[in-house]
Amino acid sequence: MSTRWGIRSILATCLPAAVAILVFGTLYGAAARAILGVPLALASSVFVFSGALQFALLALLSVGATTLPLLLIAAALNLRHVVLGAVLRPRIEGSRLRRAALAFFLVDETFGFAVAAGHAAERDGRPVGPATERMLLVAGVTCYLAWQVGTLIGLLGAGLAVAESLAGAIFPVLFIGLASLAVTRRSHAVRALAAALLTAGIAFALPDLRVLAPVVAGVLVALPGVER
Amino acid sequence: MSSLVLVAIAAITYGSRAAALVFLPRPGGRFEAVLARIPAPIFAGLATATLLTGDRSLVGGPIVCAALGALLVSPTRSLLFCLIGGAAGYALGALLS
Repeated sequence: MSTRWGIRSILATCLPAAVAILVFGTLYGAAARAILGVPLALASSVFVFSGALQFALLALLSVGATTLPLLLIAAALNLRHVVLGAVLRPRIEGSRLRRAALAFFLVDETFGFAVAAGHAAERDGRPVGPATERMLLVAGVTCYLAWQVGTLIGLLGAGLAVAESLAGAIFPVLFIGLASLAVTRRSHAVRALAAALLTAGIAFALPDLRVLAPVVAGVLVALPGVER
Repeated sequence: MSSLVLVAIAAITYGSRAAALVFLPRPGGRFEAVLARIPAPIFAGLATATLLTGDRSLVGGPIVCAALGALLVSPTRSLLFCLIGGAAGYALGALLS
């Protein structure tokens, strides 16, 4: 196995994201304690593991939402996972059981790391499948643990307001870096720019859909034309 | 929110993650070509979305500067350099604000 994407290398790659996730987990835990109570807040992080959805649920519950809106927001926000899974599917060759286990760790950040690992393997002439799977698993477990620890810290009453802004900066930087890794042709860069503009347009026109906007924009700009 | 609703939400979430990854056959031909073009636009869109708030405004200045710093070094196609550029941008933004 190449040392370039060994376990330690993978951990070093996803550490900044894991730290940011831990900070947001802390904020989630602190907010969820009052709305959900400790057992349910902890269970939500353990079984759902989706920051965007869990914060959205808190927002809805804080204004007295009933069951139906909660289920609808879960369905709407999770739609993007179907697209992310479809993009990863050609790169993952393991058995159905293995893919079922890996699927639990499919979130925006781990998707990005897995795609980047697949591209790196392709460039180095290594098999894409194992590199993608290893990254999805290790990055997934790392981010999952960071989210759980963060939630627990928040539930215990700690606040990390000072770190919130710094953590908020990690995600745009991370996604810009991952976009640059995913751009292998000039047309990819043009499509990425178009998706950024389209996302901004959707987010300004329909702010409530801004979580879905990147996937909608990404799919729309990927559909037309041929590669150059 | 009851435990039952939480179980339903967890099932919806896992189902969405597993839908394509587990149950769909491996795509081929033109569909695979389209899927291969999706990651860069999605990451660019995610970066954009994280710079916007729910009330149609930009996030704080240091975060925007961090994104600009990362964007500046993105032609190097190195995640490490992007993080360094982002950190430098953030520091500059924090100094200026």
